Amino acid sequence: MIKKFNDLNYYELLKIPHNASPFEVRQAYKNILAIYEESSLATYSLFAEDERKAILGKIEKAFLTLIDDEKRNAYDKSLVDVGEIPENLLTAKELQKAIPLFQVNTTMTKDNNLARIRKKIKEKGTGKLASVMLNRDFISGQDLKNLRESLGIELAEVFEATKISPTALEAIERDDITNLPPKIYLKSFLKSYAEVLQLDAKQLVEGYVKNMEKS
Amino acid sequence: MKRIYSIGGGKGGSGKSFIAASLGILLAKQGKSVVLVDLDLGASNLHTLLGQRIPQSGLDAFIDKTTNSLEDVALSTTIPNLHLISSTKCSLEIANLFYAQKLKVINAIKNLPFAYVLLDLGPGIHFNTLDFFLIATEGLFVATPEPTAIENTFIFIKSIYLRKLKLALKEANMLHICQEEVAKLSKGALKSPLELINILEGRDLENGKVFRDLLSGLKFRLILNKFRGQVTEDLGEQLVEVCNRHLYPSFDFLGNISYDSRVYESILARNIFIRKYPYTKTVSDLQNMARSLTGEKQHPIQIKASK
Repeated sequence: MIKKFNDLNYYELLKIPHNASPFEVRQAYKNILAIYEESSLATYSLFAEDERKAILGKIEKAFLTLIDDEKRNAYDKSLVDVGEIPENLLTAKELQKAIPLFQVNTTMTKDNNLARIRKKIKEKGTGKLASVMLNRDFISGQDLKNLRESLGIELAEVFEATKISPTALEAIERDDITNLPPKIYLKSFLKSYAEVLQLDAKQLVEGYVKNMEKS
Repeated sequence: MKRIYSIGGGKGGSGKSFIAASLGILLAKQGKSVVLVDLDLGASNLHTLLGQRIPQSGLDAFIDKTTNSLEDVALSTTIPNLHLISSTKCSLEIANLFYAQKLKVINAIKNLPFAYVLLDLGPGIHFNTLDFFLIATEGLFVATPEPTAIENTFIFIKSIYLRKLKLALKEANMLHICQEEVAKLSKGALKSPLELINILEGRDLENGKVFRDLLSGLKFRLILNKFRGQVTEDLGEQLVEVCNRHLYPSFDFLGNISYDSRVYESILARNIFIRKYPYTKTVSDLQNMARSLTGEKQHPIQIKASK
């Protein structure tokens, strides 16, 4: 026989399996709120005010219980005690521990990469080396490379942050004129590079172009 | 097997007749023999939606015993396989059909020799409307995504349940029990059939279960008409879910029908919308509905509604 609404357990109420991850619990909570909240069209006029309040209260309680590991364990045990779920489901849940969704594959994302570069610059400081370099009339690719290496920043990290292809970056650092991109691209590449290393872009571009045209 | 679908849903103007006519045409196009019965007594206008003139005979001839067979008044239409039993010629007071006449009509409808019988009902929750609705093997509720229509639909659904329950109680000679108990309620007002079931269960568990099963056995499908995309596309599923959870688990969602202002234009011009605008989202929605009623495969290409 189908259970009455009031007899549903928290999992049935949210329509999720017993081993639902916190993420699924949150999603289910959002979905069910959309049905029962006061502005919802789906339950318009179906419930009296106090009925709706009671339902929303139960949903809230279900969510707060299932989202909290400790409370959820206690609740699961109480369900086992009344025979609502078989005991082996609990151990099964342990095995199928949910993956924290927001920690997957985030180490290489742009923001983290940028944050890491900034941290390195903050630790070592571009300070003297950079100002010496920028004050020169001619800036070579080797100067840039030296500065980058002194900060402990990998070429791959510059690529990750700027999306300039590593071959172009290498050509810039080797002053490899034949392989350099056309001037207009070169300028904007240098500008991005300067921004990553927190240098004055204008000075860098001017110095580099002068150096290139000299040779 | 013969299938009877009733198309109702409380609110007027939600498009019951339009959907009945359209589904009738689409089922007939699939090659099924279909009859549309206009049971919006006193306000029948199904013929207009089919682009017909006022029919010369209809339900009236059956009621006043000019003919003995309801099949005889099923007129053929311009669409092959599609027949119409109109009630335009009925007296103005036909809405207050006598009990005996109603029984006669109900029995005749059940015995109509067509594969698909579609009953187009009027708005409101008059018990004649409810009784006609209950003839069907499956009831289709038509609502629009508006609070007013949703409210009326809930009331209609509850009324259907209550009517079914009361008819069953009457048959079991238990109606007096129900009346006694209802009188005990505050102001003697019964708000939901569930209350009544609870009362019956309280008195006698076995009986309560019988009636609960009876109501669970009804089959309903929900249609959301004039869907315009201002509300969530899940509304239909949400409504069905709520009904299944809080009433009885007998609901299915049949789908949304997109709003198209040309429906109104084609009714004004007394054209058949499906014929005039066959390649619209609205028609493809209706097409999918007709297919899921007959169990045919859905069209593989689903045109997404533009928002």
